[in-house]
Amino acid sequence: MTTKAVKQTEKNNDMVGPILGFLLVVVLAFLARWLKNQVYGVDDLFGWGVPGRVLEYPLWAAIVGLLANWILKAVKAYDYLKPGFRTELFLKVGLVLLGCTISFKVIMTAAAGAIIQALIMVTAVYFFCWWLAGKFGLPDTLRAVMSTAISICGVSAAIAASGSVLAKKEEITYITALVIVVALPLMVILPLVAGALNMPEAVAGAFFGGNIDTTAAVVGAGTIYGETAQKIASIVKATQNVLIGVVAFLLAFYFASVVEGKKERPSPAIIWQRFPKFVLGFILASLLFTFGTIPAASSKEPNAGNAIAAMKDWAFCLAFVSMGLELSFKEFKKMGWSPVVVFLIVTVFNTLLALVVSWIIFGWLFPPVL
Amino acid sequence: MKAKITEDWLSVIIAFALIVLALVGIISPTWMKF
Repeated sequence: MTTKAVKQTEKNNDMVGPILGFLLVVVLAFLARWLKNQVYGVDDLFGWGVPGRVLEYPLWAAIVGLLANWILKAVKAYDYLKPGFRTELFLKVGLVLLGCTISFKVIMTAAAGAIIQALIMVTAVYFFCWWLAGKFGLPDTLRAVMSTAISICGVSAAIAASGSVLAKKEEITYITALVIVVALPLMVILPLVAGALNMPEAVAGAFFGGNIDTTAAVVGAGTIYGETAQKIASIVKATQNVLIGVVAFLLAFYFASVVEGKKERPSPAIIWQRFPKFVLGFILASLLFTFGTIPAASSKEPNAGNAIAAMKDWAFCLAFVSMGLELSFKEFKKMGWSPVVVFLIVTVFNTLLALVVSWIIFGWLFPPVL
Repeated sequence: MKAKITEDWLSVIIAFALIVLALVGIISPTWMKF
């Protein structure tokens, strides 16, 4: 065999793992949907007074993902299939499709409150985390990655920040694991908290969007709480995501000039490089819906709008399954538990602050026009 | 030099491809039902 042929065969073999991994995610998504449908119409689950409809598909998807995660690790097939578990990709596809169901007017009215909320939350949570992590003696690079992950949007923000401050690879994987471990229970607990406080859906959506670190879990919590909560949570989180580039630039500037004492300055081009481009797709999709190019879903006569809404749910379901599949605890052993303590304290601070801020902004000052 | 499509742009491309397929009727609302 020639060198070229050998390389091609190796390349083909490289593709098998991701494809099989993706197919597994699809099969698990079908299983999650089947489980949801089994209990959805039940009025009283196990005689506990819990209606089946509260167990929405994000929960089932995360559970089947977690179970598959443990099984795959036990049979040592996990690392081979892992490249097919693309939480962020599935989620972003779902978010662009979600744009096809939201009027641009809703985005504009919700974005006004979301920008104010994002500026308050990101600034307060970032500096609280930076300060607390300093008190616990964590290295500056880990402080920067953790503060950005908690204050903005988990995994992608952690990656953006790590590029700016030249963090170690294990710091990124550690924070990424921590984000998912904390976000999964929050995805289930916060809708219960919102329900107990009788929160209107728009306020609850802003609460989830301002608080839960990773976008997938934000969308999951919103989906569990209701359709409007899902939309507002996504808009609020997307607005927060937009700040990634600005924070990445400021961090690169701070670390280059203050920490490392270099004379050259990072280019503001980083703001565009780190800008979450899927937000542009989300806005364009919403404009197409607003101007009637994309029809609204109809319960009487199913149309393209119904197909798009269903594909959005499938994309989100794939993301939630992947989130369960990507959960990992092994990174914690490497770095010890003090960053976990910092992360948990800041998460509680973030939750309480988001509760107050979202209620003031989305409940009183800028209630979105729905 | 090979240009690499980022995950963000890839998600936008996939989503709009799905939207177009739904609009032209290739993806039917009945079999996509969640």
